[in-house]
Amino acid sequence: MLPPTIPTSFVPHSSSAAARRFGTNFNNAFGFFSYAVLLIIFLLAIGIFFYDRVLENNQASKNAALARAEAAIDLPTVESFVRLRNRLSSGTTLLGSHVALSNFFSLVETLVPTTVRFTSLHLTVDDVKAVKLEGTGIAKSFNALAAASAAFATDGRIKEAIFSNIVVTKDNTVSFALSATIDQKLVAFSL
Amino acid sequence: MNSRILPSLSILLSLGIFFVYVNPTWNNSILATQVKIAEADQTLVAATKYTTQQKELTDARNAIDPTNLGRLSTFLPDSVNNVGLVLDLNALAARSGLSLSNIDVVVNNANASAQGALSVANANPVGSVNLSLSAIGTYEALKAFLVGIEKSARLLDVRDVVVRGSDTGVYNYQMKIRLYWLR
Repeated sequence: MLPPTIPTSFVPHSSSAAARRFGTNFNNAFGFFSYAVLLIIFLLAIGIFFYDRVLENNQASKNAALARAEAAIDLPTVESFVRLRNRLSSGTTLLGSHVALSNFFSLVETLVPTTVRFTSLHLTVDDVKAVKLEGTGIAKSFNALAAASAAFATDGRIKEAIFSNIVVTKDNTVSFALSATIDQKLVAFSL
Repeated sequence: MNSRILPSLSILLSLGIFFVYVNPTWNNSILATQVKIAEADQTLVAATKYTTQQKELTDARNAIDPTNLGRLSTFLPDSVNNVGLVLDLNALAARSGLSLSNIDVVVNNANASAQGALSVANANPVGSVNLSLSAIGTYEALKAFLVGIEKSARLLDVRDVVVRGSDTGVYNYQMKIRLYWLR
């Protein structure tokens, strides 16, 4: 029985055999890896090629649908809708600022005493619907003018009535000038 | 040595395919197409919405009485047509007992932007112009004329009235009447 420490052969193991084995394994792994990469890239390229074609077809069909949708738009119809909208909205705005000055003339007729008459009246309506009154007139007496002033004050729809240039003439009549503003409710149009 | 050549070539081929075809195709052609398709989708959604709204609007307009639509067009016409209006005013004055004279158009230069001042601002769909006129008649005739203007089928606003009295009961009137139209 040989002692266990004695080598069975004196022939040394070749160190290049292990390296060759390692090289072979590496080559195999590298080869496998590289072919796998090539396969993956090739499949990816094919996939992208077909995906690109699918997308292009999809885009073409969308473009065709868009062209049909665009052709379905009738511009005169659109314009008629826009004009109708403008007509309705502008008409509402204009009607809201529509004034009825006849109400003022009816009121003056009832408020002013018969002893007072206007020789001129000037009504102006500005862009915010404010109505201003300027006028001149003759009253039979100072009391008549005072009655007219009181009537305006009592009624309240002819506002800020200021009588000025009050002059007693030779025949004892009183000439005057009047400036006032008109309550917007008085001249508001209603059906 | 030879056993590494083919794998190396395949790696190079892979890299070549990737950088020459895969990457450029994905980053340029495909992404651009995807963006275009997304835009087209949005546009198609808007087109569908438009079609639906157009149908709704058509139904709503058809629900309005055509007579009322006609009255609306008379109320705010498509053109100035001040000559036709002068004829109408003359007829109204005759019915009211007023005698009209000196009718003229005053171009509204003050493009006020306040509400109600619908003049000739560019963004404003409504145009306006003032018509000045002189008249002679009684006070009752003036009131009847004013009521006729206020209730006119075409919208007219009296912007300015000057009344000059007389001892005869017949007065002189000067008026500015604003008329409107849809541009």
